[in-house]
Amino acid sequence: MGKGGMSHGGAGEAKDGEEENMAVWLLGVNTLKIQPFKLPTLGPHDVRVRMKAVGICGSDVHYLKTMRCADFVVEEPMVIGHECGGIIEEVGGEVKSLVPGDRVALEPGISCWRCNLCKEGRYNLCPEMKFFATPPVHGSLANQVVHPADLCFKLPDNVSLEEGAMCEPLSVGVHACRRANIGAETNVLIVGAGPIGLVTMLAARAFGAPRIVIIDVDDHRLSVAKDLGADEIVKVSTNIQDVAEEVAQIHKAMGAGVDVTFDCAGFNKTMSTALTATRAGGKVCLVGMGHNEMTVPLTPAAAREVDVIGIFRYKNTWPLCLELLRSGKIDVKPLITHRFGFSQKEVEEAFETSAHGGNAIKVMFNL
Amino acid sequence: MAETEIMAQGGVEAIMSCKGGKNEAEENMAAWLLGIKTLRIQPYHLPPLGPHDVKVRIRALGICGSDVHHFKNMRCANFIVKKPMVIGHECAGIIEEVGSEVNYLAVGDRVALEPGISCRRCRLCKDGRYNLCPEMKFFGSPPTNGSLANKVVHPANLCFKLPDNVSLEEGAMCEPLSVGVHACRRANIGPETNVLIMGAGPIGLVILLVARAFGAPRIVIVDVDGVRLSTAKNLGADGIIRVSTNIQDVGEEIVQIQNAMGSGIDVSFDCVGYNKTMTTALNATRSGGKVCSIGLAQSEMTVPLTAAAAREVDVIGIFRYRHTWPLCIELLKTGKIDVKPLITHRFGFSEKEVEDAFETSALGGNAIKVMFNL
Repeated sequence: MGKGGMSHGGAGEAKDGEEENMAVWLLGVNTLKIQPFKLPTLGPHDVRVRMKAVGICGSDVHYLKTMRCADFVVEEPMVIGHECGGIIEEVGGEVKSLVPGDRVALEPGISCWRCNLCKEGRYNLCPEMKFFATPPVHGSLANQVVHPADLCFKLPDNVSLEEGAMCEPLSVGVHACRRANIGAETNVLIVGAGPIGLVTMLAARAFGAPRIVIIDVDDHRLSVAKDLGADEIVKVSTNIQDVAEEVAQIHKAMGAGVDVTFDCAGFNKTMSTALTATRAGGKVCLVGMGHNEMTVPLTPAAAREVDVIGIFRYKNTWPLCLELLRSGKIDVKPLITHRFGFSQKEVEEAFETSAHGGNAIKVMFNL
Repeated sequence: MAETEIMAQGGVEAIMSCKGGKNEAEENMAAWLLGIKTLRIQPYHLPPLGPHDVKVRIRALGICGSDVHHFKNMRCANFIVKKPMVIGHECAGIIEEVGSEVNYLAVGDRVALEPGISCRRCRLCKDGRYNLCPEMKFFGSPPTNGSLANKVVHPANLCFKLPDNVSLEEGAMCEPLSVGVHACRRANIGPETNVLIMGAGPIGLVILLVARAFGAPRIVIVDVDGVRLSTAKNLGADGIIRVSTNIQDVGEEIVQIQNAMGSGIDVSFDCVGYNKTMTTALNATRSGGKVCSIGLAQSEMTVPLTAAAAREVDVIGIFRYRHTWPLCIELLKTGKIDVKPLITHRFGFSEKEVEDAFETSALGGNAIKVMFNL
């Protein structure tokens, strides 16, 4: 149950002897500081959770480096982090499903539950979404957070808190595989063997995909992908002139048509490869968000009825993720490559490690 | 109510029409594409009738943008005209002869023709997505000869009998109408989908008609051309907006579009296919909505795809159609759709008229559907 570098170095004591809640605050570009984080009062449907495991996401790194991510801009200090698991400390008056001591994984986003998108079940698209560490909403790299009970999911006994935190990236893979209708007959191509490409691969296999080919520019990431069960790996370049040749290699590696391609990088080249490699009538799922505007051969793909499916976060994925982890159908533990504790120095190192990429897949805090 | 059909006499030799009964020794003539902007009416030797085929005397044939493109360029996308080819594919006619295994069509039947013969053996065909068959033989897509001819031979199962109140011209219109039907199906148009249509050309207009027939509550259509927009208004568009060709205007135009719609846009149809039209469609469509890519103007596009994908706006591709003739005929029969206003120009089957017809269609402007009557 991975308890590396556990440290309470962050929690201070307030004047009246009670523990002062501390969190990692993003104060400016490349500037993180552990400071007090005052929690709101517990509502009747809320729980208070002591954070035990928090993973770092590419978006967290992006905020650290640029104080923004797509259209979201950090305008005032914000607590960072959103991939988390912890232990219930207190439950609100109306909470019947959880008790103090329960180990839970947290779904980060609180939607409004009133708009048409929410009522239709597509709450991930709610315009009023309040999402951990998407400004202006504070994140969860803290000693404790207050969160709605219905967004806290009890972990089975054999699922660790770190695996609980991994449910968040895994949810992206699950949501993508659902939207793309992955099943026993869909041969899958995955572009990009970073954390998202890898969880998508694990989810696709769990959904029954018979053959999975994964491509990347980085040898190490490709060998991790092979160890995690990719049928074939293909090394590709960053040069857009190479698309045609690489598509030929991909088809050879697949040995059959590509039914669904997941672009987990989101660049002109990766999308061009995806659109060109996918068979007529197939789907390309755009998961990665490299560049806002893209120059791609969209028309030839549309003229072969290759549809482009968009993915934004996830919806209703935690129960399935936990079941897949409980049954062992998916093992996310190999993705956790680095662990750090909750001190100023370790927080800075952790983010540097994650930002560096390379061998680092998922960097995990243990609190 | 069948329209009065103009019998055109022309061609190098007099055309003798015989309805019902044996063939006479008439030479079959067709409009051949010989080179850029070079069409000639020349003999067209038909293959022998197979047991599952019928011979159809073509009576009505419409010109499509792709026909004009072949005419002007000797190619259309990846289809290249390498040898003389009969042009035309939007057609209807009268059965003259039926193969031995054909028991549901008879000589004299008025039929609309679905142009494409798929292989029926590949995975896509067997899955029902035969429009994507890699072995598709399609009228007027090289190297397959088209149907702007006195007669053609065609599989009986691709010939659909017209009800008494549906004319042969309306039968020919089933082909472009089918593009609209297929697109509205793939985009799931219904009573809750507010629709935006980019482009008020023939394809944009059939989408307008079909979307309404499928129950779309509100339809806004945009174009650069005022005349086309007023045609769209007459055909029932709720809102029309004139837009520019300048990509800087996208933001402002989207505001106008959203005001005209009065609510979110659930589905956008890009019936043009340029960066600007696709960008407008992607940005104007609500989160969780769909953009249907039909227009094939530009191959490589520079568009805000990621921003759209991050709102789960899906891009649905459309290529021709599948299983659409029965529904088209039903919609025409009941009057749920009226395609007759789209037929703006008519020509006969002589070399001069064939040239005039293609020039008229190529010019665009007031011309929506140019129809041959043979």
